[in-house]
Amino acid sequence: MAEMIISMQNICKSYQMGTELLQVLHNISLTVEKGEFLAILGPSGSGKSTLMNVIGCMDRFDTGEYMLHGREVHTCKDKELTAIRNQEIGFIFQKYHLIPTYSVLQNIIMPLLLRGMKQRDAELAAIETIELLGLGNRIYHKPFELSGGQQQRVSIARALVGQPAILLADEPTGALDQNTGKEVMELFQKLHSMGNTIIMITHDLGIAKNAQRMVKIVDGRLYQDEECSA
Amino acid sequence: MRLTEIFRLVWLNVTQNKFKMALTSVGIIAGAATIVLVIAIGRGGQADVADQFKNLNAGAIDITYKYSGNSGAGNGSFGGFGGGGMPGRNMGGFGGGSMPSGFGGGGMFFGGFVMENTERIELSETDVEELELFIPGLTAVTISASGSSTVTGGDLEEEASYTIAGVKDSYADVSNLSLSIGEFISDQDDEELSKTAVLGCDAAEEIFGSAYSAFGSILYIDERSYTVIGVLEKMGSVSSGISPDTSIFIPYQTARKYVFGANNISPQITVVAENVKEVAEAIDNIEIVLGQSYPNASFTITDAGSKMEAASKSSDTLTILLYAVAAIVFLIGGIGIMNVLFVSVKERTKEIGVLKALGSSQKDILTEFLMEAAMISVFGGVVGVMLASACMPLASKVGMRVEPSAQGIVLALSFAIVTGTIFGFYPAFKASRLLPVEALKE
Repeated sequence: MAEMIISMQNICKSYQMGTELLQVLHNISLTVEKGEFLAILGPSGSGKSTLMNVIGCMDRFDTGEYMLHGREVHTCKDKELTAIRNQEIGFIFQKYHLIPTYSVLQNIIMPLLLRGMKQRDAELAAIETIELLGLGNRIYHKPFELSGGQQQRVSIARALVGQPAILLADEPTGALDQNTGKEVMELFQKLHSMGNTIIMITHDLGIAKNAQRMVKIVDGRLYQDEECSA
Repeated sequence: MRLTEIFRLVWLNVTQNKFKMALTSVGIIAGAATIVLVIAIGRGGQADVADQFKNLNAGAIDITYKYSGNSGAGNGSFGGFGGGGMPGRNMGGFGGGSMPSGFGGGGMFFGGFVMENTERIELSETDVEELELFIPGLTAVTISASGSSTVTGGDLEEEASYTIAGVKDSYADVSNLSLSIGEFISDQDDEELSKTAVLGCDAAEEIFGSAYSAFGSILYIDERSYTVIGVLEKMGSVSSGISPDTSIFIPYQTARKYVFGANNISPQITVVAENVKEVAEAIDNIEIVLGQSYPNASFTITDAGSKMEAASKSSDTLTILLYAVAAIVFLIGGIGIMNVLFVSVKERTKEIGVLKALGSSQKDILTEFLMEAAMISVFGGVVGVMLASACMPLASKVGMRVEPSAQGIVLALSFAIVTGTIFGFYPAFKASRLLPVEALKE
């Protein structure tokens, strides 16, 4: 059996909405093995973004247990969560979320700088990733000088550069046209075949089918394991 | 994250937003410039005071009599009041309504509290002699009078008004005057009512172009010709209240006769106490001696020491006022920085969210924003200091004396940095506490 990257048991989370308590996640249990490519499919308002935030250690949950790459997330303090986000998770956002004042290169090496690396060392460490994503001739451009697809590739490079345990993608094709979206999906396939663990959140069944495994989330409840594509 | 790398990022941010940075720092620029100028002006003021009094005899005492006109009917009755002494006081206790008629017009002054100089008194050389004779411990006594008169001659194209001082030979010693050329007015000049003049250095330059060409030339005061027998060095101000640099000195008796007229002259006697500590005692003695000669008059007696004190006090007051202005400017500048940083935090909420998602700690974000505030402050401080340095020649051009100092620059820079950082802290702290999820939602 492959190494377990994510193991969630009975995760519950609720928000206070005015006087009402709104339960967003109901007893979510999920396991992800190393090298898996998992799609979490759900319509808007299903709680999939909250689930992504919980998986990505950006948001806390009320009850349940969460092990990420051997760390007990449910017992972690803010400082440890910060370190986990930096080292174990590579975020890929729907709207890329690149920092507009920085160059492509500066954006890509941010996670390494945040670990305490020196600029030069970080730049050297990022060369391979930059080559892999074909951004070599764009590194001194500003994000706004690039197309959407290119920006998404920069954001993928940023997620990859720190060699995290999982890549966490939130609607990675949501802001792209169909062709570019397809290219990004091909890139995901490639990254998967290279051994990366990927979790992708989407509302689009067509996109979700690119994954190796798919789970559905509806009204905060997870419906497990439908084998797809393959 | 390494400090050097945070610094690199801050530098990137700041240099990418030059315009915003410049606008933000305007308040700090103004504050720093104000501090530098304030200190320079304050020091200039103090130096001015020091200069003014550098020729001043600390033991000098001026005596003047101010004739306040022949108002009221109190002229005669005052004589009785002064002489009667004690009874006057007792009467005063009865109140204004029951004043005996003997008091006359004097009753209109509250129990004799105000002494009005209704008698026409001219301090004279006799008084000088008496003061010299009766008061021990004086090194010099001199009498002088001053007023302004029209002057023509020399290079002057039209008539000009100058301070004319009628003085004795001893005036030069009392006021510490020294000559750059020629000699001062002598007792002989005075006795002979000779029409000779000694010019202050600025007056000589204005009228004749230079001290050298003034010497031996003729000028006209009230259309009477005077020969210039000497020119003073640059002096600053002296005890008798006139500034010698722009004045024309002529013999006392000459001035009394030809310039002021015997009826309009209001002479001043200046005595110099040997020991500065005995000034108060000398003043008491002067009052007694003059009181013998003029029982009903009150003389204005001022000593150089208290003048100096008053002048430096008013210069201190000015300095404090200027400091207050600088503090207010800084406060406003600081609030400006805080405001811009708040907007900046708001604007960059998403960026902060992304950085947090990527693993930026609270400390990293706090450091980054604080460093940004500090950088803006340093920039503002440096520009402010440069601006102030550029303004200083202008200030001296409009006649304000400024004394630049390293102390002022250091103070301005440290104030700039402290203000910027303090006011930058709160927005930075807010930024660092943002939750990544919340920040990304924006």
